[in-house]
Amino acid sequence: MNQRLKDFYFFSRFLNQKIYAASGSKAAKIADLIVERAEPYPRLIGFVVRAGRRDKKLFLPWEKIAFIEPQITLSEDGSLLQKLSLSEKDYILLREEVMDKQIVDTYGAKVVRVNDLHFLRMDSHLRLVHVDVGFRGLMRRVGWERGVDKALRWLFSYDLPNQFISWKYVQLLTGSDLLQLSVSQKKLSHLHPADLADIIEDLSSRERSAIFHALDTETAADAMEEIDPKIQKAIIETIPVEKASDIVEEMSPSDAADLLGDLTEEKAEKILEGMEQEKAEDLRELLEHPDETAGGLMTTAYLQLTGDVAVETAMARLRAESPELDIIDYIYVVDHEEVLQGVVSIRNLLTAQSQQLLSGLLAPRVVSVKLDENQKEVVEAFAKYGFRALPVVDAENHLRGVISFRSVLEVLAPDAG
Amino acid sequence: MRMEKDYKKLVSSSGRSLWRTIGLFFILMGPGIITSNVDNDAGGITTYSLAGSEFGLKLIWTLIPIMIALIVVQEMCARMGVVTGKGLSDLIREKFGAKITLYLMIGMFLTNMGNVISEFAGVAAGMEVFGVDKFISVPLSAFLVWWMVVKGTYKSVEKAFLVACIFYLSYVITGIIIKPNWDNVVHQFLHPQMSLHPTEMTMVIGLVGTTIAPWMQFYLQASVVEKGIKLEEYKFARFDVIMGSIVVHVVAFFIILVCAETLFKNGVKVETAKDAALSLAPLAGKYCTYLFAFGLVNASLFAASILPLSTTYLICEGLGWEVGIDKKFVEAPQFYGFYSLMIFLGAGIILYPNLPLIQIMYLSQVLNGMVLPAVLIFMLLLINDKKLMMGYKNGPVFNAIAWVTTLVMIGLTLLLLIQTI
Repeated sequence: MNQRLKDFYFFSRFLNQKIYAASGSKAAKIADLIVERAEPYPRLIGFVVRAGRRDKKLFLPWEKIAFIEPQITLSEDGSLLQKLSLSEKDYILLREEVMDKQIVDTYGAKVVRVNDLHFLRMDSHLRLVHVDVGFRGLMRRVGWERGVDKALRWLFSYDLPNQFISWKYVQLLTGSDLLQLSVSQKKLSHLHPADLADIIEDLSSRERSAIFHALDTETAADAMEEIDPKIQKAIIETIPVEKASDIVEEMSPSDAADLLGDLTEEKAEKILEGMEQEKAEDLRELLEHPDETAGGLMTTAYLQLTGDVAVETAMARLRAESPELDIIDYIYVVDHEEVLQGVVSIRNLLTAQSQQLLSGLLAPRVVSVKLDENQKEVVEAFAKYGFRALPVVDAENHLRGVISFRSVLEVLAPDAG
Repeated sequence: MRMEKDYKKLVSSSGRSLWRTIGLFFILMGPGIITSNVDNDAGGITTYSLAGSEFGLKLIWTLIPIMIALIVVQEMCARMGVVTGKGLSDLIREKFGAKITLYLMIGMFLTNMGNVISEFAGVAAGMEVFGVDKFISVPLSAFLVWWMVVKGTYKSVEKAFLVACIFYLSYVITGIIIKPNWDNVVHQFLHPQMSLHPTEMTMVIGLVGTTIAPWMQFYLQASVVEKGIKLEEYKFARFDVIMGSIVVHVVAFFIILVCAETLFKNGVKVETAKDAALSLAPLAGKYCTYLFAFGLVNASLFAASILPLSTTYLICEGLGWEVGIDKKFVEAPQFYGFYSLMIFLGAGIILYPNLPLIQIMYLSQVLNGMVLPAVLIFMLLLINDKKLMMGYKNGPVFNAIAWVTTLVMIGLTLLLLIQTI
């Protein structure tokens, strides 16, 4: 089929265009464009058109178009068009779901608004390849593209560039796309959790909870750790309790405890009940401590061993447990009553003989902070000693938790990032 | 921030009781009350003063229908904000497309530019009373406002502005101590009258425009969204909005009343801020000019801190540009560009010698009234969209009131334009 296609098209070129029947009479007007829901570059499979006296919405499949240029002409009579009966799962209605909406640019890691869409010809089909988010796209939509172009060239000899995002990197936020779990989570989980958190903060509450439905638990938990506490709370309150339990369980204990502490007791208890017992116990203990003390900053996801363990074994434990740990820079050595004996850094481990015992690697003096010590003193201890983490002990010197540098950074610069 | 969180915890753990309800209200209070106090900006005070001094009590009855319309319109905004979690210009862009949005944004920019100019006119007029030349007061206040918002210290200053709004009480007190003929006041409300004389129609458009300013609807919805009010808490937000609307009208009523009883009766024409200030003479005597000037400058600076920022937000959101004062200049050049342009252009225009400041403040409000119906039509189409609002569409009464307001404003504007030509 030769439809006399040009090499590329914009959405704005098609919208509201007239379609002519083979006889040359006006048959319909384009109301929307339909692409298949496929990766990476979806094919244009037809138009939604309005036709007849009552402007009924009809589906015009791509195959029934004889020519696109110079005017869109049908290969048969316009009265043969069918009613639109497509399942949302397989197709995207571009005007309804993409145009003028906010999308996530997963390459640039930000939320942007769609001004226009860019199609490329491949054989006798058009494929959606780019989203236009630039000023030029906006001007094209309004019909000022040529005027603005001329004006800028005449005034500043400046050519307005196109700002395209490849469709590969586009994550939709509206319509049924969020229900397509496999597609959406793949694109979003490529993002760094901190970037994903920024994006989520930029969205409306409806979109936020939709995204959290779609994300896998691990990605959701990583992102949640980085989100602003106020928004964290709002999200947790909108998603189902079971999902909330799963996400909180995956979060680092110190972040999880902060989050639970912001919720009502009732809600926090419900979430804790849905969690693995051991993890829930840990969190309950962390929740006991006021936010502004050392106890409120610490995590329980660290590795503690007794002094009679060999370096080789310690390394193996560290390797095996590292996915669960917040602190992997240090191993904390305790006696059988859990009294803190000392700290072994990963550097000590790497340079020691594999048969050596941990008790032989301990520094003569161990720096720690007390459970009820004020945040400020904790910060000072970090600044003074330059450690990446500090152990927290109670009055009898029992090891109760560890504060990571990251938690201290949040105290020092709560609004940064 | 931290305090709010703790209160909320305290309140929600205190069980179902009256205290819980009252506590929740105070936490969620804000958007409506702040919006209504910003509503009484330089343009507002001026328009109400002119209404009283030029027409006496004749037009005071219009406050009743205006109040009903304001409650309905603001409730619609708050509801849209809570249900969709999006700002008004976001919603307009997503439903009506790029073309319509761009034209609307240009319209909003020009209208709000008028309002910004009026705020700086308020600063100039107020500071002249204190003997400060506008070439000093206006650039200084423009820079102050710009700096405060860009550096993020605005939030802490907002409370000072709000407290200073107690100034409006002086109108209430004056209104009581001058012992107006209350029977006559009630009579005016019960027997509304209005002629189709251009000056009168202009004044009614101005009264509507200053009370139901288009930009305020965008601002209110944005604050509701930012506050993250949930559907279950919506009834508190609604109460807040209604309270705010009533407060605006109590203040408006007393300003018009006081000006009618003092200025109108003595035939004083308001041409400068000093003239308008004379209305407070029964309360403050010879210090009335200072009192009035203080209130005017506070109202102007308050609105000048919010208006340009809110306009910039709505334009950038509608057109899809990066927004937020937490962004760096290179990340959001349009945002900072528009924001600075509005402030410095607005202030710059006021520096032109011998401007009729009172007239500028008044006419900007008339322009508001003329643009209002366009914004109302968009709001009505959005709020009756079932897909968007789900079960929270407008009922027939709200639709009727909003449509009548829209049609009346279009009618008045057209009539006025026909008569003027």
